[in-house]
Parts: sequence; structure tokens; C-alpha cells
Amino acid sequence: MRVLDRTGEKLDLLTVNIGPSHPATHGSLRIICGLEGETIKAAVAEIGYLHRGFEKMVERGTYQQVMPYTDRLNYCSAILNNIAFSKAVESMFEIQITERCKVLRVLMSEFTRIVDHLICVAAALADLGAQTAYFYYFVPREDAMIILEKLTGARLTNSFSRIGGLYRDTYEGFETDVLDFLKKTEESLSDVFKLVDRNRIFLDRTQGIGCITPELAISYGWTGPCLRATGVDRDLRKDQPYFDYQTYDFDTIVGTRGDTYDRLMVRLFEAKESISIVRQAIKRLKPGPINVSDPRVSQPQHEFAYHDMEALINRFKLVYEGVRVPQGEHYDALEAANGELGFFITSDGTGNPWRIKVRPPCLTQFAAFHNLVEGGMVSDAIACLSSINIIAGELDR
Amino acid sequence: MSAEIENSPVPQQEAATLPFLTTSLDAVINWGRSNSLWPFPFATACCAIEFMSLMSARYDFARFGTEFMRFTPRQSDLLMIMGTVTYKQAPILRRIYEQMSAPRWVIAVGACASSGGFYDSYCTVPGIDHIIPVDVFIAGCPPRPEAYIEAAVQLQEKIKDESFLTERLARLRDRGEDLPS
Amino acid sequence: MKTLGTDYTKALVPATAADISCAQQSTFDWLASRFPLDQDPLAKLSTSAIVRREDLHEVVQALRDTPEFAYDMLIDIIGIDYLNYPGHQGPRFAVTYLFKSMRFAAHRFQLKVLVDEEDLVVPSLHDLFHIANWAEREVWDLFGIRFEGHPNMKRLLNHFEFVGHPLRKDYPAQKRQWLSTNDPLLDQLEARLRENGMELIDPIPLNTPAVEDVIKGSRR
Ligand code: SF4
Repeated sequence: MRVLDRTGEKLDLLTVNIGPSHPATHGSLRIICGLEGETIKAAVAEIGYLHRGFEKMVERGTYQQVMPYTDRLNYCSAILNNIAFSKAVESMFEIQITERCKVLRVLMSEFTRIVDHLICVAAALADLGAQTAYFYYFVPREDAMIILEKLTGARLTNSFSRIGGLYRDTYEGFETDVLDFLKKTEESLSDVFKLVDRNRIFLDRTQGIGCITPELAISYGWTGPCLRATGVDRDLRKDQPYFDYQTYDFDTIVGTRGDTYDRLMVRLFEAKESISIVRQAIKRLKPGPINVSDPRVSQPQHEFAYHDMEALINRFKLVYEGVRVPQGEHYDALEAANGELGFFITSDGTGNPWRIKVRPPCLTQFAAFHNLVEGGMVSDAIACLSSINIIAGELDR
Repeated sequence: MSAEIENSPVPQQEAATLPFLTTSLDAVINWGRSNSLWPFPFATACCAIEFMSLMSARYDFARFGTEFMRFTPRQSDLLMIMGTVTYKQAPILRRIYEQMSAPRWVIAVGACASSGGFYDSYCTVPGIDHIIPVDVFIAGCPPRPEAYIEAAVQLQEKIKDESFLTERLARLRDRGEDLPS
Repeated sequence: MKTLGTDYTKALVPATAADISCAQQSTFDWLASRFPLDQDPLAKLSTSAIVRREDLHEVVQALRDTPEFAYDMLIDIIGIDYLNYPGHQGPRFAVTYLFKSMRFAAHRFQLKVLVDEEDLVVPSLHDLFHIANWAEREVWDLFGIRFEGHPNMKRLLNHFEFVGHPLRKDYPAQKRQWLSTNDPLLDQLEARLRENGMELIDPIPLNTPAVEDVIKGSRR
């Protein structure tokens, strides 16, 4: 195709389609670009290749049955999604969760945030050709998988949270397992950091690539590490603290230029901050109940259900009708690994949700993708794509 | 094999003393095919994250001859579909399968690829066998890495039962030709 | 885009739940003194407004550009279908807008526009917020609500041969629709080239081989 550019020069552009089945597009993103040589003159992104109908599916079940579906939104950090959803439902009930549950939720959120950042950085470096980092990072990640498996029974799709609490308490030796994992993670984080820190190839391929200004990023609704990489110091954990995040000691990591390098480094250092939060949370773990004793949301214990008529009926109702959320509409969000993950719930007062809308942090980042890559090379586009950490399950729902 | 030995530069008497094996052509070809499967990971969703675990150090899928990941269908003979296939994705999957050259095998990984999983909705294909033939299904949501390995081993077993010549003959007959005499 | 000169690099003062509801109330009061609006009866835990469709663009612009509110981030656009919702009267559809401020930690606000089934049109906000472009396409895709003035009102999540709008309550969850080939997207690429100041001399050739050819090719 031939075009005239702004200066009246005639360009011969080549149309190239990248994805959806391409190693760097994670199987479900499609980008079509007009190239002049190797420079991208225009890019258009298409999504929807993994649109699985989350929002339609959840309307058919009870609130508790939404939990497994939320696992598969951002499947790199499933527990964060579970917690976000249960927090949204709890806020509609206006219930306060127990102290131990709060600490455990903070612990598990940060734990999965570490895992998510590990996967993102590992995949990004592998896309850049640095396969070593992938092998380094997947050693602690496998340890994390074992801990998650012991704790929740599943490796990836954990469904750990419940409305009003958690699925179950920790197992014996959980703390030492986690501390062990943290130590290994710290080691591999610093190992990889040493590999890329002064690496000319890495720096040349990431610095100054895919820049975005804070104003544009905000207009695109960016949140989370990608927004912080542009220099905007905003973090829901600090700004609207939930689960007593204000009492933990951690820093928000902020970049300066909003390029690929900053985005990756913000994630690396954020993982370090998360490690320190997990350590603080472990120190705070005190024995206590993990589920609220509110008959509207939590099932009575087995002993009561077997001997007490009301408890039996309550249990029966909760299982068959589900949690009956008060009628109304509410939006509630928390800081997930990718940014603000929110759930907008419309309830009609029955046990089945009327409408649940997810606010996916990825979508906003991918919507700005053409701004990041236009003017750069095709290979830069690949580096850029992996640095914004698109998780298709969340993007397309 | 003996014809080869007769024409070989090694003198005849010496060749007779060399150790050699006789076997069927099928056995040799299937041995080669089953131990050097080159997978094309058609990774769309969560199951692909477990595939990343599988390729990493602890599970090391390369032990089963599937060392070489190929991202082009023309150079691979094993198509692994990991994740949900939607109707938007379906023409692409079909096309990738058509681009693979025979012999080709397909593994459907996880509940979604096998049956649609718990996404019984307006946009997901209820099992990729609606689009392409499948050799091995793996259950699980997501399957454990061990299950992937078991599927690979099962596929190897399956390949060992195939017959190269009958396969080729069937394909020729399909086109209305016969084996050259 | 107009900016209010917010210093983004400075951390905010943390906001409590009380601050948030206080900020919502003051935003609501400020808006109510300028535009005709109702309080949303369904939003029980927050103060949010139902605005008239024709005021929407103006209201949002005022919210974004007034320094004491500075709702400069559009969090999401949500379509809702109230068909047979218990106790619901009035138009069948609603579009909810969620806003957040980067200037004040406590500022979050929610606006709603009610849309009648006969006249499914809402003014587009794509000129105020970049993200509105995709968010509105999504609502169009799932609910069939059109956004007036939107430059590219195409489906976002479902394929382009899809008929109907799946998240409406009267769309059966299992009504499946096959797709024959994928959207070549060339019209969007051409539009983007024009946006970037280029002028097309000849159109992009569509040289996708038909699927039949590919099938034949692989048999050989
Ligand atoms: S089978 Fe389960 S884990 Fe695998 S893609 Fe489907 S939903 Fe995800």
C-alpha cells in the first residue's frame, strides 16, 4: 500500500499481521501494523480472542460460584482476584472481616503479587531473548506453587477466598515454607537483576522504548505498576487503604520515563517491597477465627448444623440459595498485580448476581498500545507488549 | 537394510561380521517420530501458564523428546491446544492445523480445549474436536504438569502403533492413485 | 487534553471511607446546583447521580476540568440491562460511568444514564477520555447501546459476524454463533494511518488466501 506522509513524501508501506497465534502475543492478541521498513507507522490492536463470557456465566450461579470464574481472570495471581471479589461482596454487606483473615489476605495478596511479577518479568525477558531469567525465576515460582498447593489444594486456580473469610486456615509449617520461599525469591531476584542491570543489550532494547506520558496514561485509565512507571505516585494500597495496609511499612515504586525499562524495573522492585510486606504480615499472624460469624454469609460449623435446627436450615439455605446480597449496586476495587481490579456488582436481593462487571486493569493498558509502539521498530513492539503484562483472561473476560 | 550393506564401502566379508539388526520399516520410523515430537504450543489461556512450568527446570518436558518448541505450524508435528478456544479463535486454529504437514498429532489440554470446560457460553467452542481431530485429551483445569507428561507418553505409544505404509497408501487412494509398483 | 497541573509525583494523603463518602456528597451537591439530576436509588452505599442523557457530556467535562474535583480518570463504563429486575420502573437499560481523581485520594464518583429500549443512544465521551473509545465499543458489543459521535462503533469482544448482544437478559447464554473468517481489520488500519497524518494513495490489497486454498495446499 502506498501512502503520502505529512511532508508529502511517498511511502511504500507493508501490512503485517502479528498474532493472535504468535509467541509474543500470548495466543490471544492481534496487532496489525503498517510498516515502513521495520518502523511501525500505524498499528491497530484487536482483542476478544479469549472472550469466554465471564459476565454471562456468573449470572447463572450463586455468588460463591463466581469464585472459580474469578480465578481465571488473571490466572497468574488467582488469589488476588478471589480476594478482590470477596471484598466487593463484603462491602455490600458492610461486614468487617476478622483480624486474622485480614492479615492472611494481605499475606496471600502480596504472595501472589510476587508470583505474578516473577512471571511477567520472566516472560518479558524471555521475549527479549534472555531465556536464563525464565529458568532462574521459575525455581522460586515452583516453590510458591507447592506452598499454594498445600494451602489451597490447587496449583494455579486456587479459589482460596470466601465471602466473609477464607477457605481454610494455614497448615502447620506454613510460615517457615513462606519464609523459605521469600529467601529463594530474593536470591533469584538479585541474580536476575545482576544479569540485566548493566547488560548493554537489555538496556538498549528497553530504555526509551515505548514511552508514554503520565497525562496520556491517565487518560487511558492506566493504573498499577505501568502507571507508576510513568512517574505517577498512586497506589490504592496507600491512597485508599484496605485490610489495614496503612499500618504496613512499604514504599511505592515510581519510575521516571514510562518506558519499557521502567515498567519492568518497577515490577522487580515492587516484588521486593511485597517480600517485606509478607515478612511483616507473618509476624502479625495471631491465632483467631478466619471466618466472620455472620449467619448471612458464613456457614455454621458442622457441630451446630448437626444438632441445631436453625443452623441446619441456615446451612441448607446458604448452599442452595447462596449468599443473599442486599439489593443495590456497588463498585469496589483493590490494587491487583496489574493495577486497579474492581468489581461492579448489581444485586437484586437474591442469591444470584444480576450483573457483575469486572474492571480489568489490562484492558486500559492494551487500549493504549498503538501509542506505545508507533514510530518504533517491530522488535520494540514485542518488548513493549511483554512489559505491560497483558493477561488475556482478564483482558477479554 | 541388507541392501544398504551390500552397497556400502565396507568390504563384504567384513560387513557380514558387523553387528546389525533387522526390523520393520514402521518400527524405525515410528521410533524416530515418537521420540522427536516438535510441539507447536497453541496457548491461549491459563493452561499455558502450567505449560511454562512444564518447560522450566522442575518438570523439564524436554526429557520426552519434545525439546524443540516451534512457533510455526509448518515445522511442527504436535499441536498442543492449551486453553479456551472461542468462536473468534476457531478459524485460526483450523487454519494452523491445515498448515501443519502430515504426520501431525493433536493434544487437547485441559477441560476447556476438550469440552469447553465450565465456560458453557455463547462464545466458547464446546471442545476443539468440533474443529479438528484430536489424539489425546487431558483432563484438568488446569492439568498438573505430570498430566502433560503422561499425555506425551500416551501419544508416543499411539504413534508406535501407526503404520507408515498403510497411512501413505490410504492417502494415495484418497487421491485416486496407487502405489508405484 | 487539558491538564490541571496536578503534581503526580507527590504521594496523596490517604483517604478513609468517611472521606470518600463526604467527597461524593459534595460532588453531588455541586452537580445538583448546576444540572438537573436525581440521586441513584440503587447505589445504596454511595451517593451517585442519574443525569439526563443530553447533559452527560457537559457534566463529565465539568467534573474533569473543575480543579476542586478533578475527576481525571475514567475507570470504566458499565452497561446494565434491567429487564424484569424486581421493582424496576423506567427505561430498560442503564450506562454507568465510574470516575476517579488522581489529584485527591478520596474522589470517586459514579454517574448513570438511563436509556430507553426504543432509543439506544448515549453521547460518546471519547473526546474527553481516551479509554472511552474501547469501553464504549464493549458496551455496544454486549448491550447494543450506540454511542453518538464515536469514531469506530465496532464490536470489541465478539467477532464481527456475531448477531445480537449477548449480555442482554433475553439473549440465551448458550446461543452459539460460528465465525467463518477473521476480520481483516484493514479499514481500521486505514483510519489509523489517516489519524497519523498520512494519506492513502491506493487501498491495502486484501491478499489473505482463502481457507480452501490452504486446505488444498496442505494435502499436497
Ligand atoms: S481448562 Fe481451566 S485452566 Fe485450562 S484454560 Fe480452561 S479454564 Fe483455564
